[in-house]
Amino acid sequence: MDGAREGRSQEASLVRNLNSLLEVSKALGGEARLDSLLGVIVGKATEVMDAERSSLFIFDEASQTLSIRMSEDVAQGQIRIPLGVGIAGHVAKTREPLNVPDAYADPRFNPKFDRDTGFRTRSILCAPALTNTGKLIGVIQVLNKAGHAAFTPEDERLLLAFASIAGIALDRARLVEAFLEKEKIESSLRLAHDIQMGMLPKHFPQRPEIDLFATLRPAKTVGGDLYDFRLDGDRLWFVVGDVSGKGVPAALFMAVTKVLFGVSVEVESSPAAVMSRVNRALCRENEHFLFVSAFLGRLDVRTGELEYANAGHNLPYRLRGDGSVSTLPASPGLVMGVNDEFVYQTESTRLEAGDGIFLFTDGVTEAIDTQNELFSEARLEACLERVKGWSPVEIVAGALHALDDFVGEAAQFDDITALAIRYRAD
Amino acid sequence: MNLSDERRGDVLIVRPEGRIDTNTSEELERWLMSRIDGSLKRLVVDMSGIDYISSAGLRVLLMTVKKLRGSGGQLVLGGLNPSVRQIFELAGFLSIFAVEADVDRAVAKLTGAAAGA
Repeated sequence: MDGAREGRSQEASLVRNLNSLLEVSKALGGEARLDSLLGVIVGKATEVMDAERSSLFIFDEASQTLSIRMSEDVAQGQIRIPLGVGIAGHVAKTREPLNVPDAYADPRFNPKFDRDTGFRTRSILCAPALTNTGKLIGVIQVLNKAGHAAFTPEDERLLLAFASIAGIALDRARLVEAFLEKEKIESSLRLAHDIQMGMLPKHFPQRPEIDLFATLRPAKTVGGDLYDFRLDGDRLWFVVGDVSGKGVPAALFMAVTKVLFGVSVEVESSPAAVMSRVNRALCRENEHFLFVSAFLGRLDVRTGELEYANAGHNLPYRLRGDGSVSTLPASPGLVMGVNDEFVYQTESTRLEAGDGIFLFTDGVTEAIDTQNELFSEARLEACLERVKGWSPVEIVAGALHALDDFVGEAAQFDDITALAIRYRAD
Repeated sequence: MNLSDERRGDVLIVRPEGRIDTNTSEELERWLMSRIDGSLKRLVVDMSGIDYISSAGLRVLLMTVKKLRGSGGQLVLGGLNPSVRQIFELAGFLSIFAVEADVDRAVAKLTGAAAGA
């Protein structure tokens, strides 16, 4: 008689447990976002286990610690528990459930939480939450079985089943979070890319005395190169620059720099004065500590007189009509955005008919091959020594072709900009 | 990139090793920012193990020196190899940073001891 009744009651509780688990499974299945999932797991654990309180600890692989993520009293992330410490730490280490009928009789129990919250812990049941590949994702702890002295072996089995459902749901939510984070970064990179490319000039100025060409190949993650031209009567202004940093801040800094150059060449009379004005403006609100290197030139297309100023940029090359190549002598100056009192210098030279100028950013010379070897000034010079008589578009194409050959399969990690001008005189 | 610390009196020496490029500069930034948050006044960055630094890396050092100076601290760089020194020179950064030939001289500069003594 007794045996039969016990059988029926076991059967009834089995069915009840199964129904609870099905319900849990459904509830957790509807929550793909980690934040809301944590709340649902804790709430359901308390309900299904018929307990007073539940906590969920998330395991951090890097630091090998547990952090409490959701509990009725403790703000999440406040407490970090090493593996092996306390009840939850013990379960995380052994990956076995632990049933503690009397918390205060167990030396692993830390009564501090009770003292801090005024809660009185009696019994504890704790189980590991694993992913379906068996990796530890967290620990679920339920406190104080309602109306009973302790949790039963049946409760243990139920919590284990509950934890395995929760583990799989948590694992999936983490994947979703990582995916969304990646999407966010990528859309921010697309925005940076659009800002940057939208700021570049659409047309090159036309004058019979000069021929020019420029290109910018944006890198996927780093941004901030710029180039620009402006024809002011008989004088051609040109600039190449490189903003430190990446993403939207660098793209915005690039856009501001470009606008400042455009305004400044209309009001200032020398390259150094333009540089100083742009620099002062960039220093004003620069909480990201960004800076930009730039080389600014002004070519008188009737006389070949070339004036220029340098703000910490790679020195351009002068390509003489006879095929020889040399760097344009210029003092280094200082990158813009760092010191608003810096005094820039205008230097000058005279281009002969047939001479050319080649400007670039460090994305060219610091491009690396699969062995981490830099393309370097030496390789760039070697390639510029072969461009005698070439037009600017041919010079740029030649240089980038040599670069591509060198780099091979290695990823491009910085913007690549090249600008060439050939002075034809008449 | 490897990162390590050494203390000599009240001077903290941070020693990065490898390449400081776009990827590794964020790690260096976190490392340096976590150390200059407090009461640190004297910092040396030992550059002898660095064979390349990109503009992203220069930005981190710039941020470090500006924040440190803002709280009355000082930074000295030591042991730049010739190609790294050239990158600093090109950017005009030799006028921004105090640079010494090696770490001992950099520490001496901060503590006021005679270099090479």
